[in-house]
Amino acid sequence: MLSIILKDIGVITGVSGILAILLVIAERWLNNYGDCKINVNDKRELTVRGGSSLLNSLSEAQVFLPSACGGRGSCGACKCKVLEGGGPVLPTEKPFLSEAELADHVRLSCQVKVKSDVSIVIPESIFNIREFKSVVTEIIDYTYDIKGFTFELEPGETIDFQAGQYVQLISEPYAKVKQGVTRAYSISSKPDTNNAIQLIIRLVPEGICSTWAHTQLKVGDKVRFTGPYGDFYLRDTDADILFVAGGSGKAPIKSMLEHLAVTGTNRKMTYFFGARTPKDLYLTEEMESFEKVFDDFAYVPVLSHAEPSDNWKGKTGFVMPFFKDAIRDPKNTEAYLCGSPGMIGAVTKSLTELGVPKEKIYFDSFG
Amino acid sequence: MKPTGKELKTMQRMQPGVQTLSGFLGDDTRPLNEIIQDDSVVLDKLGRSREEIAKRMESLTQASWDSYLEGILVEGKYQVQTEVYRGRMPCPFGHPGIYRKAVTTLTNQENGITVVWTSLSMHMIGAHGFFEGRGSAYRLEPETLIKALFD
Repeated sequence: MLSIILKDIGVITGVSGILAILLVIAERWLNNYGDCKINVNDKRELTVRGGSSLLNSLSEAQVFLPSACGGRGSCGACKCKVLEGGGPVLPTEKPFLSEAELADHVRLSCQVKVKSDVSIVIPESIFNIREFKSVVTEIIDYTYDIKGFTFELEPGETIDFQAGQYVQLISEPYAKVKQGVTRAYSISSKPDTNNAIQLIIRLVPEGICSTWAHTQLKVGDKVRFTGPYGDFYLRDTDADILFVAGGSGKAPIKSMLEHLAVTGTNRKMTYFFGARTPKDLYLTEEMESFEKVFDDFAYVPVLSHAEPSDNWKGKTGFVMPFFKDAIRDPKNTEAYLCGSPGMIGAVTKSLTELGVPKEKIYFDSFG
Repeated sequence: MKPTGKELKTMQRMQPGVQTLSGFLGDDTRPLNEIIQDDSVVLDKLGRSREEIAKRMESLTQASWDSYLEGILVEGKYQVQTEVYRGRMPCPFGHPGIYRKAVTTLTNQENGITVVWTSLSMHMIGAHGFFEGRGSAYRLEPETLIKALFD
């Protein structure tokens, strides 16, 4: 009896083993798509190993589409047109695609698997996005939860960006964090210094990347990032400018002002910085120093929670009531806003009521 | 009940260092379905649905969202303030969509209860009945949350 049971167990184990081996072999055959070609904009042809997502395949070929979720199909940021190949649209993509986009062959590149040759269309500006290797050369404590980090590129490397754009910093594993993550931060330095960038990073509660930057990074550490990304940048016109920022939203505005200080401008500019208390203010002297650099520039910090003991002599409350005095010709005024969506919404409403054209209000709402 | 493959994948995403620094499960050793089931029993006992709770949280958050720097007093007794940080986060359950990194603090001035939640907390409660594991940074005890929101 026992020998029969043992024999049966042996047969079942043997059959299972053979099936497992067959499955492994079959998977290797079935998932081996060989080399595939990605035709980009009818201008470039990339050869990639088939089987991976379009987003990852492009990334391995040093073409970086933006992604906020790391390719999980959750953010919808990695859209591109797939004209040939790519298979049918997946249910995971549909919530992110409008009827017009579906008709226009727009796909989420993270959900498209490269199994054969693919033909895609992406914005030309994407080709300017690269991965950079850098070294931390300076860390400055700006406030209790905001630090400035300077990253110097490898010798001979330069980055070409527009004031206001952002990069995606790639963190390294640390403590319980087993994998690096990528997070977006605005560049706070001027594009004219193209061998280094500065980022202003606010510590996010439970944030993997900001905690890494605040607690792990030290001068001399090697850091990778991709970029530049984004369409929040200074327009080259002669219109008056209203800058409005809060918290770490100061970063892109600082970049714009430093850039204008290099190129020179006689545009009328007013910069409103909204904060809660004096301890949330930073770079105040640097911003005020621009009043001496430009012909017509004013830096106006506004505190919402100034206590009598703070001895705050500046403006208080929200920033919006002060716009009227700063705008001389609403139709010829551009606004650059960076901060929380609540702030962006309130400021946009106020500016449009004052007559500033909506199409001249540019913003970065902490994406 | 033994966790399904999908649950195991979700629990993997909830581990420390995957989406957030300390994860969504805290030091809770119960399987995900048990955490959700246990909290669901508390909701039934108190006569509140997860959708009702999430809707209430969303409406209070929206009120504070609009007054971005100030806290706001809602209905004469709820002091609510929302702090928005740069970036967004996906749902660990694999739902499409990403949620702003925003932290809302609510104090019910009548009973003195203060609760803190994120944009993702509201989604996870409303869509999945998940109040996070015990000991996690944003665990919301259903009973305390209900007292804060409805008393």
